[in-house]
Amino acid sequence: MTKFKEISTEELFYKINNDNAKIIDIRTPDAYNGWPERNEKRGGHIKGAKSLPAKWAKYIDWIEIVHSKEISLGDSLIIYGYDEIQTEKIANLFIKAEYPDVSVYNSFVEEWCANEKYPMEKLQKYSQLVSPFWLKDIITKGTAPEYKNNKYVICHAHYRNREDYEKGHIPGAVELDTLYLESPETWNRRSPDELREKLENLGITCNTTVILYGRFSFPDNNDPFPGSSAGHLGAMRCAFIMMYAGVKDVRLLNGGLQSWTDEGFEVTKAESRIHPVSDFGTDIPSCPEFAVDLPEAEEILKAEDKNLVCVRSWREYIGEVSGYNYIEKKGRIPGAVFANCGSDAYHMENYRNLDHTSREYHEIEKNWKEVGITPEKFNAFYCGTGWRASEAFFNAWLMGWSNIAVFDGGWFEWSNNNYPFETGFPE
Amino acid sequence: MTIEEIQYKIIEEFSLMDDEFEKYKYIVDLGKSLEPLKKEFRTEENLIAGCQSEVWLKAGIENNKIHFSADSNALITKGIIALLLRVVNNQSPIDIVNNELYFINRIGLSSNLSPVRGNGLFSIINWIKTFAEKNL
Repeated sequence: MTKFKEISTEELFYKINNDNAKIIDIRTPDAYNGWPERNEKRGGHIKGAKSLPAKWAKYIDWIEIVHSKEISLGDSLIIYGYDEIQTEKIANLFIKAEYPDVSVYNSFVEEWCANEKYPMEKLQKYSQLVSPFWLKDIITKGTAPEYKNNKYVICHAHYRNREDYEKGHIPGAVELDTLYLESPETWNRRSPDELREKLENLGITCNTTVILYGRFSFPDNNDPFPGSSAGHLGAMRCAFIMMYAGVKDVRLLNGGLQSWTDEGFEVTKAESRIHPVSDFGTDIPSCPEFAVDLPEAEEILKAEDKNLVCVRSWREYIGEVSGYNYIEKKGRIPGAVFANCGSDAYHMENYRNLDHTSREYHEIEKNWKEVGITPEKFNAFYCGTGWRASEAFFNAWLMGWSNIAVFDGGWFEWSNNNYPFETGFPE
Repeated sequence: MTIEEIQYKIIEEFSLMDDEFEKYKYIVDLGKSLEPLKKEFRTEENLIAGCQSEVWLKAGIENNKIHFSADSNALITKGIIALLLRVVNNQSPIDIVNNELYFINRIGLSSNLSPVRGNGLFSIINWIKTFAEKNL
């Protein structure tokens, strides 16, 4: 069996601009995104590195994840992480998979992070996408890195499925039905007064740190209510509405409930006490620019520097299915840019890793760039009723994109108002 | 062979493998031996919901034995299906309903498949069990 080599900081520095070199970061997605989990001087990852958490090596289908990340046999691999033993373990796995050129780099914290000369990258708003360890610190110690508040509320999101909360939630989390924040008539965000009442009842003011998550329990599009099994997607939707309303510090648990239980942390069935507040603290919506409606959507389609971004599946886009059991019309908005969500209306495979953590942001950015979705333009994301659009929006927001919105009504409102539409393969 | 005997044999085979990667290679090789499903059967009706990759399953019953044929566009999934079919193919509906497919746990498939693919596996098992139940 071929042995792997160990390379020095200078050797790696020389290699980072080499197209053939693939630098592989095996730390958690959160460390990759920017959290300095070992108190390193700079958080983030080596410029150009790909994220392949060591945790995934336990999966039998690990090599398929490797292939999906376009790490190929002809590449010169450099593996790094926090822990030498773990790094070597992954290097050996690659050797076993017959990758001929594998190296390890073991001076990431001491040398790379410590010296500004060596380039690093991070997700601009990484602190809004938190790890289960961070959340555990908040719950048990009341304090955690990058948290300077004294009031937080954890929300377990679900859609008309209280049982999902009752069968086990993160200790201290309150139950948040997406229906509290969106209306079942239009599936749009509720009115400012309704939002104020619901948020105050949940104990949330504009200054509360809100951490949201949900449980992904394998939605089946043939179920009467598939959204009831797409809790983490519901959490994304609620995060968006809270940001629109004016909550200043909205955070998502990366991977939702799955990442909490994967770490062996306990869930509870005990209902958490809610401490309602009497004043949200600011006008709602404080960030009206985050949501656009039908008239603006039409204007966006006419503008050259604006995109209406369709975060739906291919079959919805070409009009083969509507995607929902309560939407009749099938098709797409003419002129919308397609940003494929994944398999159907309740799945976001193209935006998530297989364990439901958010996909490596460079990959999302690359896919978007290929179809002309770039931060210089104004991008309004839409889907059927706003859930998937909210997840895409949240990703763009984390990347620091400022010209973004959700077209709240999406295909539901567009098609209900008999606006023009197209089907079939786009020209 | 009975379902029980085949499961025992599979567990034995997997116990000889060193790690997850060996298991992967074995499963993928198994997938290559799965006879492809004819194109006309790759229909919406035969498509299994809840799988990361496309999976088509078709079943028929003759002399009280169920015969399954299946296909997928992903190698690992094809292998997993081949493994499952090795256990349930040409068995009676009552045996399929009554036997728990414990080999999945014992060979580490339920805990060591990535979560999304793991769900697909259970969707396939559900489909097989439901078909058997309907034909009791």
